[in-house]
Amino acid sequence: MFAYYARLSLASFRRNPGLTTLMVLAIALGIAVCIMTLTVYHAMSGNPIWWKNDRLYAVTMDNWDPKQTYNHDGSLGPPPQLTYKDAMHLFSSDIPERKVVMYTVDAVISGTGLPAPTRVETRLTSADFFAMFDVPFLYGSGWSGSADTPPQPVIVLSRQENEKLFGGINSVGRTLRWKDHEFRVVGVLDEWMPRPRFYDVNGGSFQMPEDAYIPFAWGKDLELLSSGNTDCWRPEKIDSVAEFLNSDCIWLQMWVEIPEARSRERFQAFMDGYWAEQRKAGRFERPRDNRLTNVGHWLRDRKVVDTDNRVLVGLAFAFLAVCLINTVGLLLAKFLNAAAVTGVRRALGASRRQIFVQHLVEVGTLSVIGALLGLGLASLGLAAVHHMYSAAHLGHRGGYQELTHIDAVGVMWAVILAIAATLAAGLYPAWRVGRLPPAQYLKSQ
Amino acid sequence: MNLSVRPILSALLRNRTGAVLVAMQIAIALAVLVNALYIVMQRIEKMRQPTGIDVDNILVVSSAGFTERYQPVPSIEQDLRYLRSLPGVTAATATNSIPLSGGGSAQTLVTQPNAHSNDSMNYFEVDEHGLDALGLHLVAGRNFRHDEIQPPLTKAEASRFVPQIIITRALAQDLFPKQDPLGKQVYDSIGQAATVIGVVDPMLGSWPGMIAHPDWVFLMPRAPFTEGGNSLIYLVHTQPGQREAMLRLIETHLSSSNPERVVHFVRPLRYFRDLVYLGDRTMGIYLFTVTLLLIAVTCLGVFALATFNVSTRTKQIGTRRAVGARRADIVRYFLIENGLITSTGILVGCALALGVGYWLSMQYELPRLNLYYLVGGVLLLWAIGQLAAWQPARRASAVSPSVATRTV
Repeated sequence: MFAYYARLSLASFRRNPGLTTLMVLAIALGIAVCIMTLTVYHAMSGNPIWWKNDRLYAVTMDNWDPKQTYNHDGSLGPPPQLTYKDAMHLFSSDIPERKVVMYTVDAVISGTGLPAPTRVETRLTSADFFAMFDVPFLYGSGWSGSADTPPQPVIVLSRQENEKLFGGINSVGRTLRWKDHEFRVVGVLDEWMPRPRFYDVNGGSFQMPEDAYIPFAWGKDLELLSSGNTDCWRPEKIDSVAEFLNSDCIWLQMWVEIPEARSRERFQAFMDGYWAEQRKAGRFERPRDNRLTNVGHWLRDRKVVDTDNRVLVGLAFAFLAVCLINTVGLLLAKFLNAAAVTGVRRALGASRRQIFVQHLVEVGTLSVIGALLGLGLASLGLAAVHHMYSAAHLGHRGGYQELTHIDAVGVMWAVILAIAATLAAGLYPAWRVGRLPPAQYLKSQ
Repeated sequence: MNLSVRPILSALLRNRTGAVLVAMQIAIALAVLVNALYIVMQRIEKMRQPTGIDVDNILVVSSAGFTERYQPVPSIEQDLRYLRSLPGVTAATATNSIPLSGGGSAQTLVTQPNAHSNDSMNYFEVDEHGLDALGLHLVAGRNFRHDEIQPPLTKAEASRFVPQIIITRALAQDLFPKQDPLGKQVYDSIGQAATVIGVVDPMLGSWPGMIAHPDWVFLMPRAPFTEGGNSLIYLVHTQPGQREAMLRLIETHLSSSNPERVVHFVRPLRYFRDLVYLGDRTMGIYLFTVTLLLIAVTCLGVFALATFNVSTRTKQIGTRRAVGARRADIVRYFLIENGLITSTGILVGCALALGVGYWLSMQYELPRLNLYYLVGGVLLLWAIGQLAAWQPARRASAVSPSVATRTV
């Protein structure tokens, strides 16, 4: 039966090739625009470490100006980073299972036998970083907690940096000069590209992870200032590194991993206790707002998905809607045009149900062709978007590569979406044509 | 001959599915068209805001010392001497950050000592060649003198201010409304004073399109901070047409002239300016393309419905022609029918467009949709709708009256 219906639909396509092509094109365009927009949206907004959403938390405290909120739009909420003083105190707690405090530094890596000195964005962080964020290793591993204090000259390289410096070999145990100090390679990361870079969204969520990692305490020993964002509000004289570390300037990111709810309450109480103590000493003049924020809420609070993207998703669905309404109209026209043929089939004994199924098969065939074409168009469109970005990012290792490939799950969803949407669009015309009184159409023949 | 709308309307109501579908498409198309165009125009306006900076003739050099032996002050002097000696270069300065790049520094600036301010003002540290290196226009006062250029800040002396500053006219109007800013005192957050000696106009700073007042900028006569391997920026103004040649020359020379430092990059300033507006540009192109496709698909819908209506009514058309209707009457009939459908869609679309516009204004914290866009969108869609129905209507008018007499 199905084969017969398929043959009938082919015959029907051949009867109006122009109309059929237009329909397939409309479906394909609607699907393509939807896939493109959703791919971009997904790359921007996805929680790249969703499996730890109930145990990973960003730590923030509102130490800001009593006269104004941190956010310029006046919305409440603590600043996204901590002062050195507060971070160090919170880091001393044993409650979290894992904890990191960190920032980035602009450095140069050189060394005999290595290529010419180059700039390497480096993250100063603590030993737990790699296990906490499930960072994959190609060679070696991170450093142990004992290398944190006093800081040992150990360094972890990204896969790309290892390729640049050592040609991709296992470089564990080799030495290099980081800011003209000797460091020993203890680990090389495998490909790791969390999108967005949730653990530090200052300066854009599409930034790449850093290319090198060293123990946090080097920052104080070598007096290294952040190359990321440093925000100060208190009018205070800062004329030495010691004064800076003691200031109300925020520049450190802190994350903790606490799986149990009870420990989280204890850590929250620990923060609040510290807050109360400091408030007595004249700090923390704003209302109490100490937070533990999981990754999902963090991305939302930090407005990682910008308004443009949400608008584009809306636009894509409006477009798909118009394409589908169009398809309903075209299908209706096409089916009713061939009502005489349907009349003959009905007169010869086809039931309404059979007519309905026959037309649905026709719609299904159209939708599969439309979906495939739509996927093709979408990958072309994404390549164009990528081209626009990469042309502007010449010489940059931009984070927009992610946009060019639609992942397997994405493709599956797109195909399901396409077929479901078109079938839904075909339901009414297929039903309607089955309801036509056959006699009327036979009469004029 | 019948001009009245009533029979057309009653014919439409007897067979409304197709008409409703087309009206829905037109409604959505109108809502999208009007709002998309509004957003695109705002982006274009944003990108067109004059920077005051000679973007096309400036090169940005970023470098950093990385060894203990690196001596920033003599190294910078030597580099600037070299850059200024090049025949294709008109001016060069060392500075702390790249203008128009989305990254920069800001500090409090108030008109009373120890007053409180909610705003941080964007600043650039330059020397006496700074104005020429950026291609800025001094509209009042004077430039910095060579002897006014302060040594760089150090970690041990990080709060020092400068005695003189040059400000943009926009900042002057904010700090000293309706007064002459020249000679006035301004203060930093801990009450140190500086005198305004010059005014430039226009000038955009580090964050065009990203903050409320990207043109509130001031210049400080000071060498940039370089301790701890901080990146150092040179801005090099080249003669027209010399930019690419100078880029290669400077890159080659600087990367080998001092082994204690590395040159990160030499790039045209245009690169950074384009990068900062990249999101707006992509959004504009995307919106424009999708809207265009949407209009095309809608046209297709109008065209298909009209064609269908014509083909199912061949006999009726023949009959009307046989009893005396002229070709023009037939064309008019189909255009009026199409006009009724389009107008219904447009009416619904207006409400939809205003609704979407309201939602967007909440999202973007922008003024409500400009009604001119709505009027423009209505006219455009109406015209396009009628155009799409024109060909089927013409075909209908070509139906011969003899069709009415045939039975098959």
